[in-house]
Amino acid sequence: MRLLRLLPLVVLAGAALAEGPGGLTVPAFADGSVSEAEGLEAWARIEAVLTHPRCVNCHVESGAPPMWSGPEFETAVPHGMNIQGGESRIGAELLPCQSCHVTSTLPNEVPHAAPHAGMDWRLAPPEFVWFDVPGPAICTQLRDPERNGGRDGPALIEHITHDAEEQGFITWGLDPGAGREPAPGDLQAHLDDTAAWVAAGMPCPE
Amino acid sequence: MQFTVNGQTREAEVEPDMPLLWVLRDELGLTGTKYGCGVAQCGACTVHVDGLAVRSCQLPAGAAEGAEIVTIEGLGTPDAPHAVQQAWIEAQVAQCGYCQSGQIMQAAWLLKSNPTPTDEEIDAVMSGNLCRCGTYPRIRAAVHAAATKLREA
Repeated sequence: MRLLRLLPLVVLAGAALAEGPGGLTVPAFADGSVSEAEGLEAWARIEAVLTHPRCVNCHVESGAPPMWSGPEFETAVPHGMNIQGGESRIGAELLPCQSCHVTSTLPNEVPHAAPHAGMDWRLAPPEFVWFDVPGPAICTQLRDPERNGGRDGPALIEHITHDAEEQGFITWGLDPGAGREPAPGDLQAHLDDTAAWVAAGMPCPE
Repeated sequence: MQFTVNGQTREAEVEPDMPLLWVLRDELGLTGTKYGCGVAQCGACTVHVDGLAVRSCQLPAGAAEGAEIVTIEGLGTPDAPHAVQQAWIEAQVAQCGYCQSGQIMQAAWLLKSNPTPTDEEIDAVMSGNLCRCGTYPRIRAAVHAAATKLREA
């Protein structure tokens, strides 16, 4: 549905659809072809993804544990087993994530098992804290190269397509499998929204 | 599919998505590694794969192909136990014993990565290994004792 909503924008802008990696189609919006209002609409959908527990639970502060969410918990709770991601973000200081989270592109099918992805399991860098951070603040963080891994707009789009190629954590968050509630939408819709938001100049809510 | 298990080359005709735990137990007959939960919640199936203590119930055989695997059978022998096994015997850690091969494999890895762990570090690294008998105080004491043995060795 989201893709259908964006397609007229693409046609109006005279932009081409380029086949991208990871089975995704990257919409090629010309700069300025998406209005600020449309960009903010796209951001609202991006925000719903980025603030979902499936995403924020691994975007925690350096000294904080990763979090767990699920229908059995009223609110997010600290990861069991006394887990700390540490400064390494892979638990190297104490118990490495890889003790339980293997690197595999096989589907996640077993409920309550340690989930896996095609990338080595790890937490987001501590400058990307999203847990308990309001959506508008995540928005300004996401467009700030000082706090987003040095990425400009096209690099943010590439971040998603690269994740799709590797079956990484964005891909997993939107399709976590094994009965876990996914972040809303699918990866193509998230890519479409991100491309529209970038083309609109990365507007953030006041 | 080929693996190096306890220093020996072993082969098993298995599907690539079979958990390593079943390869070890059912295909290779190494039943010292235990099945507890099957979802990485308990640590009973802990073995070393390429030097890291991992839950063998989570690792697909295909991902372990060619790896160096050490199980409780390969850590030490009755005649020459590993320092952790010796400390476990001296402290009489085990009650029912079901979780203990996983505990010992995790503890052996802990002391390789951190030869002088504090109580807090032991608790943090061993928290993924559950013991329903509640032998945790003796586990902690035995880890300290094994650390001393390894330093003096």
